[in-house]
Amino acid sequence: MKALSAKTAPAPVRVALLGNPNCGKTTIFNALTGARQKVGNYPGVTVERRQGTCYQGEHCLELVDLPGTYSLTSYSPEEKITQEQVLAGGFDVVVVVVDSTMLGRSLVLLAQAMMVGVPLVLCLNMADEARQAGQQLDLRRMSSLLGMPVVETVGHRGQGIEQLRRAIVAQRTGGEHGHGLVLGRSLREALAAVSARLENLPQLYRGQRAWFALKLLLDEPRFVSLAGELGLQGARDEAARQRAALEVATGMDIGLYVTECFFGFVDGLLREVTLRPARADARSLSDRVDTVLAHRLLGLPIFGAVMFAIFWVTFTAGEIPMGWIEDGFTALGRWLGGLWPAGSESLLRSLLVDGVIGGVGGVVVFLPNILLLFLGLALLEDTGYLARAAFLMDRLMHRFGLHGKSFLPLLVGFGCSLPGIMATRTLENERDRLTTMLVLPLMSCGARLPVWLLLIPAFFPAAWQAPLLWLIYSVGIVLALGLAWLLRRTLFRGAEAPFVMELPPYRLPTLRAVTMKMAERCWLYLRKAGTMILAISILMWFITSYPKPDSEQLRSLPPAGSAAAAGQLERHQAADRLRHSLAGRLGTALEPVFAPLGFDWKLNTALIGAFAAKEVFVAQLGIVYSLGGVDEESPDLRQALRRDYTPLQALALMLFLLIGTPCMATFAITRRESGSIKWALLQLGGLTALAWLVALLVFQGGRLLGLG
Amino acid sequence: MMVGRPDKATPASTRQPVLTGALEDYLESIYLLEREHGFARVRDIARARGVKAGSVTPALKRLDEAGLVEYAQREYVKLTDQGNRAARRVLARHDLLKRFFEEVLQMEPGAAEREACAMEHSLSPQGMDGLVRFFEFLSICPEGLQGWLEKFHACAAVQSDGGSCDSSCSCYGDGERRRVPSIRLVDIEPGRAARVLQVDARGAVRQRLLDMGLLPGVEVRVERLAPGGDPIWIGLKGSQLALRSSEASAVMVEG
Repeated sequence: MKALSAKTAPAPVRVALLGNPNCGKTTIFNALTGARQKVGNYPGVTVERRQGTCYQGEHCLELVDLPGTYSLTSYSPEEKITQEQVLAGGFDVVVVVVDSTMLGRSLVLLAQAMMVGVPLVLCLNMADEARQAGQQLDLRRMSSLLGMPVVETVGHRGQGIEQLRRAIVAQRTGGEHGHGLVLGRSLREALAAVSARLENLPQLYRGQRAWFALKLLLDEPRFVSLAGELGLQGARDEAARQRAALEVATGMDIGLYVTECFFGFVDGLLREVTLRPARADARSLSDRVDTVLAHRLLGLPIFGAVMFAIFWVTFTAGEIPMGWIEDGFTALGRWLGGLWPAGSESLLRSLLVDGVIGGVGGVVVFLPNILLLFLGLALLEDTGYLARAAFLMDRLMHRFGLHGKSFLPLLVGFGCSLPGIMATRTLENERDRLTTMLVLPLMSCGARLPVWLLLIPAFFPAAWQAPLLWLIYSVGIVLALGLAWLLRRTLFRGAEAPFVMELPPYRLPTLRAVTMKMAERCWLYLRKAGTMILAISILMWFITSYPKPDSEQLRSLPPAGSAAAAGQLERHQAADRLRHSLAGRLGTALEPVFAPLGFDWKLNTALIGAFAAKEVFVAQLGIVYSLGGVDEESPDLRQALRRDYTPLQALALMLFLLIGTPCMATFAITRRESGSIKWALLQLGGLTALAWLVALLVFQGGRLLGLG
Repeated sequence: MMVGRPDKATPASTRQPVLTGALEDYLESIYLLEREHGFARVRDIARARGVKAGSVTPALKRLDEAGLVEYAQREYVKLTDQGNRAARRVLARHDLLKRFFEEVLQMEPGAAEREACAMEHSLSPQGMDGLVRFFEFLSICPEGLQGWLEKFHACAAVQSDGGSCDSSCSCYGDGERRRVPSIRLVDIEPGRAARVLQVDARGAVRQRLLDMGLLPGVEVRVERLAPGGDPIWIGLKGSQLALRSSEASAVMVEG
């Protein structure tokens, strides 16, 4: 009896996208997967891993966007990961995405992938630009010479995506598998000789003998040691012999020779398939713009103006929606609070209103700013201007061990660390990225501004105020650069990554591409708010509310008190509650630690709150001084502070807040972007320790000098 | 025609059997066959050497005794590690000599091959070493093989049947030697173009420079400098790159 077999869906097709940086690979990825994607990190490194799915007919395509690379080597973490993924990631099809306007160079990666031996699809992206420049290719001939499907696409307009999907599926289900790679005879013979000795490669690399042989020939350390581990000494020795022979025969270093072979293949291929080459002046408009924007003298001022414009729009245009969100949360809080009878001591009510809405709301309120900032950054990146900015800034940045591209994230950090840290993704090199991330919180962010505006006028005469504010910002910058320099010499030392940076032609970004980028970053920001920040807000609420003192411990009112006195009492009681709570006790317990800096329990308690968010610092101080609802402008708070502390203490305090205690949002995002909690902890611990040291020096030093 | 017996007094690793020219030829053929097909059959060896299959067997036996091949089966023969090394040595000598005759002395390929075949068995290790180093010199020296050879072949004094040096070759001006100046990319001013001669960097930087297309022979153009003179913006083959001065210093060009 024949059993009825249900029609089983075909197994998912595992696809990887490979290509140079700036070739529009991620745009293609987004066009293929839409919202069905997930962004994370490869374990332990800052390298981003993007995966997603899409469908073609009944086939499910599981896509992974590999990091952009110029060559399949192992010099940087990105390259190592990409090479490893291509060799052993178990992909059914690899799509090589190239910039059609730069075939002479970008096809080299294709040639390397061909040698690896995985089924390939060639995606000629930016086909519109190439066509505009007059380039015409014989696609059919190209496809038959290469032995793979060739698809033209315009990623940022979504053109050609359908054909690409079909080609992927076709290639998977037993499409063309030709090996059209033709290399010089000497190289081929050398490779054959080495290959012959690679009999027992593990299953993982079984199909990639030729590639393994090439890497041994090139003496790439990773493969040489791998061969050693696998007991393939014979192959290693043969590779050494062949290498020596080739170098004598060709008069070239082996790396150069192999590169020339690959370029030679690409040149030969292009000669066969180019019906009409691109015009020589195809880039002229872009070049003419560059004579101004990248001008040796004008370039920097123009960049400064552009950044100023972005910040200005962010903070002014963002004001209005910020106000709405703030009002919205306040209304929500009030409505929620109203669900309980007035004066209720309900736990849940307090938790929801003070803890959750207060905490989360405080972060979400910045969303309009973040959105606009990311919009600006996406525009900078997609037009290609970011590369010019890196070109202009690199000299300065490099002096301190940073990369030209570090400048932008650091600058953004002046607004808020969160987008700044996320902006470090544009840095290709892991060490540069980590260094920038770790020192970023030193850029005095917008949330600290209320603190400066509270403390400076409270303690210093009018003439000193502006210079002091400038001093605070400058100290941050100087420390950031110094710390970066130090990190580069110690923790992140090592052979410097090449700077050699490509300057793509200026492109007009499409609304679609820019908004997708913006939306992705904002979604990450909100998700962070919804999870980690929510958790910490609840925690903070808890430690500032509990334990509650008994009514006897609170001050009480003499029977015939006035309404004003009643209000006064309420505030005093709030202060007492705070002192009694876990946060207050922690503050008291921390006194020995912070006493050398001149802080007392009140400041300590407020500092604990500052970890949640800097604005909380001001609010907590207000509670401590039983002043009810205060902000940085309150004259009462300023007077109260002036009464209790000296200007020197205030200065030490400000420096501590500047350098240490990065807020929890920063902690969370650093952990995410760096791929490991140890960097976030190092950032937190290191900066706080540094802050403590600096505040100590300032306070004690000032005391010694008799400044108070 | 005695094959040297392995000397028990010397350790195995330094034993170098003394082979006749004919045996070395066999070794060579076996090696080439193995490389081409992965194995060497007696039939093919015979064909390669242009002899009858029967003549091959005694030679193979001797090679086996010398520890250079494994001749257990009747049809196939396999080189041992030692045999492999020996064969490669012979081949390397052959190639080097052929190259010398062909490239330096400008002999016809066929004639060069024959001479190499004749001489390869009698070239001593010292002679071999000298030739290797000579070729190394030719590839490293900036003046290179080409310039030197050109002078050699243009030299009236040695090429024709007599006569003395009349300084007729172009590079000898007034007895002074003119050298093609080799400068670094970092020394080129904005607006000027140059041709890449050599990439004198190491590791990741070198790889990146090569990957970006900065190969010998490629023409580049310095477009502009950043404030402070660093980095440098160059254009080549349709793309634009920015390099730090330190990286551009490693690229040797001719202006």
